[in-house]
Amino acid sequence: MKKIGITTTVPIEVLLAAGYQVIDLNNIFVTAEDCSEYIDLAERDGFPKSCCAWIKGIYGVCLKEGISEIVGVIEGDCSNTRALLEVLELKGIKVYSFAYPHRHQLRDVKEAIDDFRSLFSVDKEVVEEIRDNLNKARSLVKKLDELTYLENKATGFENHLYQVSSSDFNGDFRKFTEELESVIAEIEKRKPIAKKLRLGFIGVPPMTADIYQYVENFDACFVYNEVQREFAFPRAINHNNIYQQYYDYTYVYDLDFRLEYIQEELEHRKLDGLIHYTQAFCYREIEDVVIKQKLDIPILNISGDKLNRLDSRTKLRIEAFLDMLGDLKEGRF
Amino acid sequence: MRALGIDLGSREVKVVVMEDNQVIEKLKVSTLSFYKDYCNFEGKIVVDESKLNLGETDIKVSTGYGRNNTDLKSFEAINEIKAHVYGAIYQTGLKDFILIDVGGQDVKVMKVEKGLITDLELNDKCAASCGRYLENMANLLEIPLNEMAKHYQNPVELNSTCAVFSESELIGQIAEGAEMERLCAGVNYSMYKRLQPLLTKFRGRRLVLSGGVAHNQALQEYLKGDYDELLLLDDPQLNGAIGCCYYGMRAVISDK
Repeated sequence: MKKIGITTTVPIEVLLAAGYQVIDLNNIFVTAEDCSEYIDLAERDGFPKSCCAWIKGIYGVCLKEGISEIVGVIEGDCSNTRALLEVLELKGIKVYSFAYPHRHQLRDVKEAIDDFRSLFSVDKEVVEEIRDNLNKARSLVKKLDELTYLENKATGFENHLYQVSSSDFNGDFRKFTEELESVIAEIEKRKPIAKKLRLGFIGVPPMTADIYQYVENFDACFVYNEVQREFAFPRAINHNNIYQQYYDYTYVYDLDFRLEYIQEELEHRKLDGLIHYTQAFCYREIEDVVIKQKLDIPILNISGDKLNRLDSRTKLRIEAFLDMLGDLKEGRF
Repeated sequence: MRALGIDLGSREVKVVVMEDNQVIEKLKVSTLSFYKDYCNFEGKIVVDESKLNLGETDIKVSTGYGRNNTDLKSFEAINEIKAHVYGAIYQTGLKDFILIDVGGQDVKVMKVEKGLITDLELNDKCAASCGRYLENMANLLEIPLNEMAKHYQNPVELNSTCAVFSESELIGQIAEGAEMERLCAGVNYSMYKRLQPLLTKFRGRRLVLSGGVAHNQALQEYLKGDYDELLLLDDPQLNGAIGCCYYGMRAVISDK
């Protein structure tokens, strides 16, 4: 099966209908034992120090792992992807682009997906058939999410892992579905995890996945992973077609739309505080200003760069924040 | 309900009693004298409260530098970052600010948003940007510390970032005949320059100044230029101890 890399979530149904095995390049980058190798490779080829580690990581993965075709999202996600695609094209990689429309309207989303579909010459019916197949895996991921925030049995890391993996279903959605079934069966047997503080993780998935375990040292756990959850399209089953599904997707559109969903989840999941993760040099660091103003909940912004584990300064900040958040929950001020 | 808060600093131990959310007693004792004259050691440090002459207290909270030094028997020990933030929240009534605490031997900067710490930075263990540096320089100039703290205009230039080498530089300036006012301003300005790198990471509009060095008028003048609002606490040196009391009182209220 021919492989195609993606830079973030795209209408994967189209690519599967075209017979591709889809690989989310971010996942290869971040789960590598030594992800700095990929960054080094990019910097040696001229990517600036002041550029997000994800972009460099994706570039490194493409070259090192021999990816020959790639779909880059040039609107709605990172604008650096445009330049990334140009460089990859220069390196002989076949590039396709997908743009989430800036104007968040159903007819624009429809046009974008139809264009994408014609790029790969696939029929609408086949795409919808694939969407139906994927919905089974998606409803299992949704079940796992409920096991996290309703039953308190799945850990924050498991919640992150399976939702973030839903961008490409680990390259094989049937195998992914089977794996999820057995993971869920195991988790269901567990006793609930009782932690004092219920946290939400908003922003792009972290480079530093050790944060999930780290907060547990302070009687806290994550019961909400915002963007990862979006990757898993928890509302897909409510929609009649692919256009509605990708219209009802948050982080690639305007911030207000995204905040409405976050606000809903804050209440629904009874969150005590949020950690807003941003990547150094990313425009989303600026969005933190708006997020803090608009959401009435304590928020700690942490920024990751090249390291794939928390540095000591960030750990200290998290500890101080959670310490006071615990006081707040106990009504100490 | 009465709460006793003790902040064990490097130069002085600060003691505060609060009753019904009001500070009713406050005192400062030299650190050496506190351990020697007011404490016993019975496996743990025991504070002889009768010697402090502060009456009965219902809740006792301590803070300061070093877990072992501040772990007093029958006290709840909290970390000093938190103590200072609670102190500043109590003293200002604000929930969004940047707090800088410049003590005898250390500097802490904390960002507080919605009443919670969201960022912090501590200085290296070096006396160059702390109260002790000002004390040394005032001794060298043979003038009282509070007199030296008044001068901020036209400072002589002191380049060194080391407290020891700064002394030699200052002597050089004295030898060249610089006026006392300019020498004093030079010391104060060098202190400000050392705090600046720490503060540049904490851009914001409102700065709260605490710790003994908050009394330094020259430093206040320099900092005013960097923030829209500079807030001085009524009791900057007692801020940590006040924070302990405030925390303790809130804890009791929430348990009820």
